[in-house]
Amino acid sequence: MEYFIHLGILVSIYAILGLSLNLIVGYTGLLSITQAAFYGIGAYATAILITSYGVNFFVSMLIGMVIAALTALLIGYVLSKFDGDYFALGSFGFNIIIFSILLNWQGLTRGPLGIPGIDRPEIFGVTVSSNLSFLILSVLTVIIIYGLSQMIVNSSFGRVLKAIREDEKAIQIFGYKTHHHKLVIFMISAVIASVAGSLFASYISYIDPSSFNLNESIFILSIIILGGLANNKGVIWGAVFLILLPEALRFVGFPTDVAAQMRQVVYGLILVFLMLYRPQGLMGEYKL
Amino acid sequence: MSILPQLIINSIIAGSIYSLVALGFNLIYGTTKFFNLAHGVLAAVGGYTVFYLSKMWGLPIIPSVIVGVLFAGFVGYLVDRTVFRSLRKKKASGMVFLVASLGVMTALQAVIAIIFSSQFQTLSTGTFKVYRMLGGVITQVQVIILALSIFIMFALAILLKYTRFGKAVRAISDDEEVSKIVGINTNKIIGRVFFIGSAIAGLSGILVGFDTGIEPGMGLSLLLKGVIASIIGGIGNVYGGVLGAFLLGFIENFGIWKISGEWKDAIAFGVLLTFLLFRPQGIIKK
Amino acid sequence: MSALEIKNLYKHFDGIKAVDHLTLSFESGKITGLIGPNGSGKSTLINLLTGIVPYDFGMLVISDTTKLLEIKPYNVSSYGITRTFQDVRLFEQMPVIDNMLVVLTERGVWSSIYEKHKRYHIEKAKEALEKVGLWEKRNELAINLSYGQRKLLEIARALAMNVEIYFFDEPFAGLFPEMIKIVTSVLKDLRAKGKTVILVEHNMELIRELSDHCIVMDSGKLLAQGKPRDVLSQKDVIEAYLGE
Repeated sequence: MEYFIHLGILVSIYAILGLSLNLIVGYTGLLSITQAAFYGIGAYATAILITSYGVNFFVSMLIGMVIAALTALLIGYVLSKFDGDYFALGSFGFNIIIFSILLNWQGLTRGPLGIPGIDRPEIFGVTVSSNLSFLILSVLTVIIIYGLSQMIVNSSFGRVLKAIREDEKAIQIFGYKTHHHKLVIFMISAVIASVAGSLFASYISYIDPSSFNLNESIFILSIIILGGLANNKGVIWGAVFLILLPEALRFVGFPTDVAAQMRQVVYGLILVFLMLYRPQGLMGEYKL
Repeated sequence: MSILPQLIINSIIAGSIYSLVALGFNLIYGTTKFFNLAHGVLAAVGGYTVFYLSKMWGLPIIPSVIVGVLFAGFVGYLVDRTVFRSLRKKKASGMVFLVASLGVMTALQAVIAIIFSSQFQTLSTGTFKVYRMLGGVITQVQVIILALSIFIMFALAILLKYTRFGKAVRAISDDEEVSKIVGINTNKIIGRVFFIGSAIAGLSGILVGFDTGIEPGMGLSLLLKGVIASIIGGIGNVYGGVLGAFLLGFIENFGIWKISGEWKDAIAFGVLLTFLLFRPQGIIKK
Repeated sequence: MSALEIKNLYKHFDGIKAVDHLTLSFESGKITGLIGPNGSGKSTLINLLTGIVPYDFGMLVISDTTKLLEIKPYNVSSYGITRTFQDVRLFEQMPVIDNMLVVLTERGVWSSIYEKHKRYHIEKAKEALEKVGLWEKRNELAINLSYGQRKLLEIARALAMNVEIYFFDEPFAGLFPEMIKIVTSVLKDLRAKGKTVILVEHNMELIRELSDHCIVMDSGKLLAQGKPRDVLSQKDVIEAYLGE
């Protein structure tokens, strides 16, 4: 039972990450491979603020969101000058830079040693100590983010994002300063990813930079490509599938480190097969 | 400052390795026009093949290296044959190719890790000659790296300029559709380009393996440096990639002179972003 | 009155002078036919005037008041200009109605996040779509429309903008006769409302029928202008076309 609760929490966290990335990739059509950077910012903000300063979890999450938003403003501003392949490459670059900072700014992050002892959240004096209650917190967060994301994509703003995806120059002629729109959605996406990071840090209680590298960004991308681009329900299913699948592999009897690599093989092959035979993913509304 | 000559030597060696990666990458990019992120993992394929043959089977170095290079080329050819060729037929967008190459990279890298574990290994046999040069130190392996990269650069240049194959490659780089109309079997030529480019990548992985060592993820970092070098020098331009590679080698090594070596990657990407912002067409005008 | 005046406009690509020191003006409230052989620079000119491609130098004057040394794509509509494209640029993986709504709703970022489209947006979209006969197809994805329907959708989109100056780049190409009738009436309707229409077209019948004034381009330069009937019988115009 505990095991399924653990999986449920992981699925929730990755669902939130998937929803955040879908806004940029699925709806706006920008191939961004740097989501792990904002995930990491949220996680480290919560980790540092809780362990070193005793800050309340939700306050730390808020601060993480602000830092993520500011970082996204900077990164997004630079990236908005590129499109297509160069955007992807540039985003890669930012992920590596942020990862380098997390790894090397040891004074702040303790580098590869990581940060242990991150407490669970406290709401009105009650600690969310049991995994079950954390699961409830996570699922509630997913519901809120899902609702927020749906509101954005169904609004006029969402329609503009899709038009940018289809033909950015054309929509500009009709009076849209698209770089503003791209920047804002990039910031919103970063803020949501950092929420997932805060949850993750508090749940796992120990974080280190290795959870926030390029592979992680690629994994989040796989979730939304599998589940379906521009379809939020599909993203949830994508998260469910990609988290549960390797757990199934574990039961087949591979030793743990091999199982981790097997997971990567499966993810990689899934991406290849999707591109070959179903670029819109399982439930997607947009083909790359 | 006695450290200066060593910095210069280190920069040149780094530049040589990056230029090998850039050469292979640019060659393939020229004909297929997408960022093949799986290119880097072929370096690991080359390195680990040599590791397998020489360390685990005791084969002598030279034959192991030859097999390693050829096998890397073969794997690259296979990837094109099974994945990219179908995508070309479907006229898939550049993003689809990129994501597919991402999948290939992830899967292959993991396969290598499964077979050989993620531990850092070295290919060298322990004893290596060291030369003193201009006040700095350079190992035998590093001299070989420098020599080979220059040799391959010239060999590739000659291949592209004077052979029929080279002309076909340049035709496809200019315009794939027109090349088909003129009667060039583009899939066959591209397949060969993948073989050659991947073989060069494999060689670079082997050389790095002798110089420092190998680990399954080595390809990605090498690839990114190669891509950065290509962009600095002008994407698709074979010579530009080499120029960019040496420039990158120098910037990286002089950049970390005053700050910790851990920041090398960040510096490299800082350079990339600067170029993408201010001179995306690269240094060499087409 | 001149709706749009071009002074000494110049654009070159790789040594080819696509638009070569062009000076002319488009009279307001009229349909001006813009013709010329292939490669004469007509589409390039429209791309320059709508910010798709930046020009090297020159000046634009809008409504005799606004002087511009450059025009950015996102400012084009604020100058009262809109257009259709020769190669039909729709928002493919979006339904017809969304293709329309996106040019009707709030342009600002924050104001558009809080807005779900209002009823009058749908009414305006309906008005334009009914003019071209596409209202029934409003939920169809743009990519699934027939070629002719796609061109009509682009026209409806331009109509919904409700501006002063309309550039139509080969709107009739590839259309069936019934659709040609629709587009013809749309253009006449615009003129009746006092709008300025610039029509690039190869079909000389339609040019004769529709344009009040005709401008002929060749090799990036102004070759001739005047009434269609006169211009089309001019010797140098005929030679330019024969030579193509």
